Amino acid sequence: MNKKSRLHLPNPPARPGQKPDFSYVHLSPAGAVPRPEVTARARDMESLAVELVRVLDDDGEAVGPWNPHLDAQDLQVGLRHMMLTRSFDDRMQRTQRAGKISFYMRSLGEEAVSVAGGMALRPGDMLFPSYRNQGLHIVRGIALVDMMCQLLSNTRDMCKGRQLPVMYHSKPGNLFSISGNLATQFPQAVGWAMAAALKGEDHLAASWIGEGSSAEADFHHALLFASVYQAPVILNIVNNQWAISTFQGYAGGEQRSFAARGPGYGIAGIRADGNDFLAVYAVTQWAAERARTGGGPTLVELVTYRGAAHSTSDDPARYRAKDDEAHWPLGDPIDRLKRHLIKLGEWSEERHRALVVELEALVAASWQEAVKFGTMSEGPKLNSDLMFEDVFKDIPPHLERQRAQMRSERS
Amino acid sequence: MSEYVFKMPDLGEGTVEAEIVAWHTAPGDAVAEDQIIVEVMTDKAAVEVPAPVSGRVVSIRGAPGDKIAVGSPLIVFEVSRGAPAAGPAAGTPAAATSAAATSAAATSAAATSAAASPSTMSPAAASPAAATPSAAPAGGRIMTSPANRRRAREAGIDLATVAGSGPGGRIVREDLLAASAARTDGAEADGAAPATGDAAGDGTPAGETSEIKVIGVRRLIAERMSEAKRNIPHFAYVEEVDVTELEALRRHLNSKLAKGEPSFTYLPLVILALVRTLESFPQCNVLYDAARGVLVRHRAVHVGVATQTPDGLKVPVVRNAQAMSLAEVAAETRRVTERARANKATREELVGSTITVTSLGKLGGIASTPIINAPEVAIIGLNKAVERPVVLDGAVAVRRIMNLSSSFDHRFVDGYDAAAMIQSLKELLEHPAMIFIPKVNSP
Amino acid sequence: MAHMNMIQALNSAMDIMLGRDPSVVLMGEDIGYFGGVFRTTEGLQRKYGENRVLDTPIAEGGIIATAIGMAVNGLRPVAEIQFADYIYPGFDQIVSELARLRYRSAGQFFAPVTIRTPAGGGIRGGQTHSQSPEGIFTHVSGIKVVMPSNPYDAKGLLITAIEDDDPVVFFEPKRLYNGPFDGDPHKPAVPWTTHPKGQVPEGHYTVPFGVADIVRPGSQLTIITYGTMVFVVLAAAAALGVDAEVIDVRSLVPLDVDTLVRSVKKTGRCVVAHEATRFSGFGAELVSVIQEECFWSLEAPIQRVAGWDTPYPHAFEWEYFPGQARVAKAIKAVMEWA
Repeated sequence: MNKKSRLHLPNPPARPGQKPDFSYVHLSPAGAVPRPEVTARARDMESLAVELVRVLDDDGEAVGPWNPHLDAQDLQVGLRHMMLTRSFDDRMQRTQRAGKISFYMRSLGEEAVSVAGGMALRPGDMLFPSYRNQGLHIVRGIALVDMMCQLLSNTRDMCKGRQLPVMYHSKPGNLFSISGNLATQFPQAVGWAMAAALKGEDHLAASWIGEGSSAEADFHHALLFASVYQAPVILNIVNNQWAISTFQGYAGGEQRSFAARGPGYGIAGIRADGNDFLAVYAVTQWAAERARTGGGPTLVELVTYRGAAHSTSDDPARYRAKDDEAHWPLGDPIDRLKRHLIKLGEWSEERHRALVVELEALVAASWQEAVKFGTMSEGPKLNSDLMFEDVFKDIPPHLERQRAQMRSERS
Repeated sequence: MSEYVFKMPDLGEGTVEAEIVAWHTAPGDAVAEDQIIVEVMTDKAAVEVPAPVSGRVVSIRGAPGDKIAVGSPLIVFEVSRGAPAAGPAAGTPAAATSAAATSAAATSAAATSAAASPSTMSPAAASPAAATPSAAPAGGRIMTSPANRRRAREAGIDLATVAGSGPGGRIVREDLLAASAARTDGAEADGAAPATGDAAGDGTPAGETSEIKVIGVRRLIAERMSEAKRNIPHFAYVEEVDVTELEALRRHLNSKLAKGEPSFTYLPLVILALVRTLESFPQCNVLYDAARGVLVRHRAVHVGVATQTPDGLKVPVVRNAQAMSLAEVAAETRRVTERARANKATREELVGSTITVTSLGKLGGIASTPIINAPEVAIIGLNKAVERPVVLDGAVAVRRIMNLSSSFDHRFVDGYDAAAMIQSLKELLEHPAMIFIPKVNSP
Repeated sequence: MAHMNMIQALNSAMDIMLGRDPSVVLMGEDIGYFGGVFRTTEGLQRKYGENRVLDTPIAEGGIIATAIGMAVNGLRPVAEIQFADYIYPGFDQIVSELARLRYRSAGQFFAPVTIRTPAGGGIRGGQTHSQSPEGIFTHVSGIKVVMPSNPYDAKGLLITAIEDDDPVVFFEPKRLYNGPFDGDPHKPAVPWTTHPKGQVPEGHYTVPFGVADIVRPGSQLTIITYGTMVFVVLAAAAALGVDAEVIDVRSLVPLDVDTLVRSVKKTGRCVVAHEATRFSGFGAELVSVIQEECFWSLEAPIQRVAGWDTPYPHAFEWEYFPGQARVAKAIKAVMEWA
């Protein structure tokens, strides 16, 4: 065919070697977007799906109707959680590079998404995270040692050796088992919320997926079922601009914001600054109250930036400008909350540095503890008999036979 | 030491099985390559099978009379690794190439290319045993179901020794039962063995009877005879023939022979006369193909000559008698009948006749009802030539008379045609000069 | 005891479980107000309310995913997929999530979901209403796969499935909803009322998983089958006058290997029959297991009877369907070996 193709092909504004350009990210001034009542109809708040809810301005002041007016103590807790998440991520990244764990995924730059979101919910609310929401686990008090043992697949692994690293779960912590398949948790969260409603409880479910994953059919099913049954669920799209090397244009972000899909299903859609602790908290709080009072589901788009690679198997320098994240217009969540707290007189650079050291020590100590339960090369190992358990509730005869066969191969 | 399993070779022309006639070796014997180990028979051809390797016989399969499927194990040898074949092996090729007389050559000739094989084994057979350490038989497996394998294992039966009667030589359960029974009964007699006890089963006291297995040629004859009689509506036509002049010619020809040369019998003269007769009666020189429902008319005349041999009746064939002179017919007839009697006739020499002549010579009697050699449609029988008083030109004269007792397949040969043919033959025999007059305006 | 056809038996199972266990909910397309396109959930929404018997959007993936979420929140969902032909949009949630949840969370999370779906042909439904995909599911570790062939088994197995804490895919041979079918479409339909397996207890009872049913004991050969083929096989064997031991597998996963092996070791001859397509069908697993366990007992090669490896055709229904003629051929083939 000699004719020139007329097919539109999305491309990011800057490839490696090019100057970063985030002019495509629609920003609203901090505090400019109104805060509707939690009872507002989805069709009456459609503008929130394309604007950007922000509380912290560029000077670190909290402004506007979305200010959650949190206590300084809560903010300090939030800051600590975010810093611990980052410290944990940093250490585990280095640990993977040192060959001591096989795989890791960081949440650099997205700490507020999980921490603020998690803190705005109740312990009885069921969380259906993706693999990049480790901040939720930190908030819910899951011990670092336990998370590290999962990364090590050692004798204390919560998954008993069956899952890839970072695929945590916690029944007591109400954190659903993380799946390697994208977006599957979204409609599952809706089902959980439907059951809560059926039972007449005021618990709600919340789930997080990346903008790339919103392309999957499960995303559509989640929104459809949430809308049809008015399920008490908060559906979060973490738009960190990248899905491995796939730019958000391939998820449909060029033509419409992700939050705007909500109103299409008759669901309230709110687009918020994912790097603004206060905004994330406030929007989550709004959606939770809406759900708990029978107002149904909310679709929240958290606009943020994936600060690091997709995983330890990825190298973003191959598809995006190396200093991309430094140009991200919405800054860094930890830095911004720190500056806000300092502005409030409730924090200092010194205390911040000290906290960094304290948290690094905590992470290091946790690691020392975790490796006692076995590493990839040394120490106690999980019994491979475990491979045959939990396939079903009770081990069936054919698996007993296979286990016996495996044992004979072992000896 | 390793084992070499020799399987029943393909003896040519779609043979699927062969009957064991006689073993020339037994377990424990040491044999040299090419040494005759067993005699088998297909249709009417007896074939001597040479050893493909030098070695010791470990086991043999089947007793005389047993039919062994082509490709199924026949005999197991123990061969030594690294030991070159002994002298006889080197010597045999030379012996094998000499014509006719040796059995090896006979086997080769009879079995076409397959014989020089026992083809599946040829790599092993050709080179001295040294080069073939593998014990596994080349190609071929014992075919039987898993359940039968287990039964054989449990009964201690070596499947290699069991003849398979199922499709493709597969061993079916009955075969195992038979093998098991055969073992528990002890060795079956081959040939006539004095029976002990009430062998006849009819109360006849022991020692009064003996049993002869119907095997080998006898069995073949029995099968062919009953089949011919069953399928063909025979009708007989007997005619007297005055062979006085024929006898005079015969004596004259014999008087001219050199000393030691075999003399002429009636047979070649009759064959020549028959050939001439068939020119006018081609409908008697046909073969009936029952499968296709067609009569195949042959231009050539291949005359079967019924011959009594120590093994029983055989019918060697004088091929293309129509193209032969008297001397040639006589010589060929003599050759094939002698070979048949000596049990050396090849398969080609025993098949393919288009019409058969049978003669009992001095024992001929005055009339007989010969059985047609299917798939032919006519058989000409010669009774005894004797001097008889006949009426000739109004007076009693002594003439030499020989009756012809012929049988025809009434499905395809009408009475009139049969009679006309015999009359024509009679004319030639009574006026033998006419045998040698070429036919004018041959078609 | 009551006469029930398979639909009534299934309805009874769900009725009883809705009554016994408040965590049981039904969900599916057209199952609530309408009672289901096959009437299997008739009257249940009226009896138990909209909060126990839910109509859903036409989204098989969404039905199964939300069922999982509900199950994680303590409910015991029974999700209907209207035709097994439509189960594929939900296949990812079944395989990647439902089948693995207990395993990957070391038992911390599990979803006791029962997925019921009508399967099989013989109803002139063409390729989108006649498929038998049960073999595909047996290949996925972590789910149980069941197919009853009669009302008694249907009710008992469905109750077992609902009570089971493991996920179950429950295939219902729709040709047998109203009566046993011997493969001859020209004969008038026979209702379940005349059949002993149409006698169904009205109360709660279970038929266990992992136990095959010897429908007809016999000595000459073993015929292993399930679903619609059970009655075709019985008729074919009867017509041939052969003394066949006919086994209804009914629980595909977990499989009752012992019963199958015992039978084939006894008879030495085996035919495996199912309606599903032949290549890599569940029959291949059955044949393989029998070969492994019963090799030294086999008098003949194992024969397989199955649908042809084509999409299920409409006009050629009865040449496609493995009827008595195909079964008879297999029986003869296996009997003629000595």
